[in-house]
Amino acid sequence: MSGQALLETKMLTKHFPGVVANEGINFVLEEGEVHCLFGENGAGKSTLCSCLFGYYRPDGGSIEFKGEPVKFRSPRDSIRYGIGMVHQHFVLVDEFTVLENIIVGTNTEKWSLDLEASENQLKNICDEYGIDLKFNSLVRDLSVGEQQWVEILKSLYLKVEILILDEPTAVLTPEESNKLFKIMHKMGQNGISIIFISHKISEVMLADRVSVMSKGRLIDTVFPRETTPQELTNLMIGREVKLRVIEENDNEYDRSYPILSINNLKYKNKYGKFALNDISLNLYSGEILGLAGVSGNGQKELFESLSGNLNPDSGTISYEGKEIQGRSSRVFMDLGIGLIPDDRYREGLVSDFDISENIILGWQRLNDYTKGFFLNRNNIKRLAEDLIKKFNIMTPSSTVPVSHLSGGNAQKVILARELNHSNKILLANQPTRGLDLGVIEYVYNQIKLKRDEGFAVLLASEELEDLINLCDRIAIISDGEIKGIVEAKSTSIQDIGLLMAGQSETSA
Amino acid sequence: MISLEKRLESNISWVLFVYSLACIVGFIFTAFLLWSSGTDIPKAFFALYKGSLSSKKAIFSSLNYATPLILTGLATVVAFRAQIWSIGQEGQVYAGAMSAYFASLMFYGAPLWIHLLLVIAFGALGGALLGVLSAVLKNKFHVNEVISTVMINYIIIFFLSYMVGGGPWTEISDVNTTVYQQSDPVADYSKLPYLFGSTKLHLGFLLAILSAVACHFLIYSTPFGYEIRAMGHNPVALGHRGTNTHKTLLYILILSGAIAGLAGVTEIFGTSHRLKSEALYGLGYTGIIVGMIGGLTPLGTIIAGIIFGGLASGALYMKVLAKVPAALVPTIEGMFLLFFLCAGVAARYKIVVTGKDV
Repeated sequence: MSGQALLETKMLTKHFPGVVANEGINFVLEEGEVHCLFGENGAGKSTLCSCLFGYYRPDGGSIEFKGEPVKFRSPRDSIRYGIGMVHQHFVLVDEFTVLENIIVGTNTEKWSLDLEASENQLKNICDEYGIDLKFNSLVRDLSVGEQQWVEILKSLYLKVEILILDEPTAVLTPEESNKLFKIMHKMGQNGISIIFISHKISEVMLADRVSVMSKGRLIDTVFPRETTPQELTNLMIGREVKLRVIEENDNEYDRSYPILSINNLKYKNKYGKFALNDISLNLYSGEILGLAGVSGNGQKELFESLSGNLNPDSGTISYEGKEIQGRSSRVFMDLGIGLIPDDRYREGLVSDFDISENIILGWQRLNDYTKGFFLNRNNIKRLAEDLIKKFNIMTPSSTVPVSHLSGGNAQKVILARELNHSNKILLANQPTRGLDLGVIEYVYNQIKLKRDEGFAVLLASEELEDLINLCDRIAIISDGEIKGIVEAKSTSIQDIGLLMAGQSETSA
Repeated sequence: MISLEKRLESNISWVLFVYSLACIVGFIFTAFLLWSSGTDIPKAFFALYKGSLSSKKAIFSSLNYATPLILTGLATVVAFRAQIWSIGQEGQVYAGAMSAYFASLMFYGAPLWIHLLLVIAFGALGGALLGVLSAVLKNKFHVNEVISTVMINYIIIFFLSYMVGGGPWTEISDVNTTVYQQSDPVADYSKLPYLFGSTKLHLGFLLAILSAVACHFLIYSTPFGYEIRAMGHNPVALGHRGTNTHKTLLYILILSGAIAGLAGVTEIFGTSHRLKSEALYGLGYTGIIVGMIGGLTPLGTIIAGIIFGGLASGALYMKVLAKVPAALVPTIEGMFLLFFLCAGVAARYKIVVTGKDV
């Protein structure tokens, strides 16, 4: 850190229809620093980064690079200034190797590719930073975490001066995250300035400086060592909030007879890899079973099997002793199994439909909602209005399209629908991903309430701390295998982290 | 700087404005086309008016032309609303006409209304069967519906060609020469009755309007309509939450096919009174344009169908009175489609003038 301003915005403003995403942002990135953008979802962090990367054009204000005003009309311009960005959704070609992905489009001067020279150059970079990647593997065979390394390596290969990372730790295990931060600081020493987005307070404290954003504004830029997590959180929310404290969990339930029993479930995906590799789990009424693991390790396939959306190759799923694997989603729903899918806009909602229509998705033929041939609009509207009130969904009316709601309110629509139509089991895959603290708290409380009513809950999450607070037992999934099942009361993040990293229970 | 911004809510006067603009631009381009083909423009427009709007007779003629187009338009609406890109309306019109013709021979002698009902029902059935074929191909073998419907169209069109061009339904007096490629006239009592005494507006028009109203309620107010719309917006979510989307696809293609089949019935038993390819040709494809211009809504399709019916009826007069080349009519239709599609997009945006370029 030299204290020299490298990239700076002055009164930068960006509006979207109906939303002010950035308002009067004065942001300074100094040379060689690791700078964190901290804020809730919708605070405008990604928008600011997209403006810096030339992906969006600001409506007002200016961007200065080394004191000179610059205009980025597209990422092509910002790349010329040595700015690189790793997006949340990677832009890699699945069928290409790591090496091909990194050098594709980089040497525009020549007609032919000098793969060998590039490979040597990359090897040097990897050695310097301690990145471990096989250059000849196909990208589709890599885990999501490894794919992110490919993206980072690509930026290093392009010799960027500034690297922007959008929520880089979302796809990493705790161990990988630690490694990333070490590498980020090393890059800083080598003169590469880094901006990373995060909403996890523990990571924020690892940055050189933090800019706190809220509701499209940059509230303040501070040094983490001169502040506390509590202060930073207050800044972000704009009011006093209590950080979650670990509560004593004294939930007791009967473990003699599982309501849902999963035995030796196997499923090979289209690439011939075992997405589910011999998974066995029991789920009991009145418990919350956590599923800890980085996304993409089989959670999706497991939840799809348990909700009738995927037919496993072998193994059984028994509901109260009756085998139901491979049956349709209708069968699972009629048994009283609710589902909160991880990709809420793709699998859980019809965004162009209004709230009331989404509330009956999948139940549109239920007698309660029909009158003869027709939908019973009155009943549906009444139910929707009830649920909007009960679940605290912020909306002017039940006829607002779900696409107009914030992510948190959209998630509440799913929660309302699923809890209203199920009575035995709730399957929740990453239900709090991308939500505000307030909504997260709300979702967890609803889940706890349902457990107390006797629901069996399967909850997959990447937030280990939350799982430990909330669950009765935690199963650790990695590479499509259950690496261990622990009692939440007597475990720690470190234990779970080790299991996630692929070590078996005995050696942990 | 002037820029376009997406509207959060639609504004009715803006919508009317852009569609009127599309109409005006359409007419200007039509005038240009007429001029380029050496036609007397005022004369041509007068002929258009005379053939479509000038008298009761002209208006009823327009509505008769509109009848099959409204029906094929509705068939398009039902399928396209679910993002099922069926191009099979053309073949389904033929299939409907043929199976209705079959019914008219088969049930000859039955009491009048029973006979007519059977003719109409068989027409719907014929179209529906082709829909089933495409649905099965898609559900079982993942054959894209665009490909399957286009191929089936060819098969069925040539099948009719065989049936009336030497096959069993060929006109008796023409069996040896097969010049006309048509069947014998249908029996008088098989013809769709006229609605108002001697005027030639036939029962088919009423059928089309009733179908449109039924489709309107079906799409917006029933569970099946809910599934159609959900399928169009997000089939993944629909399937994930308990609806068998294969079944939904099957039912949609059956319904779409049945409605297109009705178009064949109204054309053969209401207007041409003989089974012949010439009468049916293009009704399905034009229906796609009609449905699109109608904004994929049943009630909009009625309006678009009537406009196109008027154009078709007036085209006849343009041809005779103003010597407008026949090939110009589909060109004009296509042009109007383009402008209306542009208007459809423009209706969702607003023009914003901002202070300065940044």
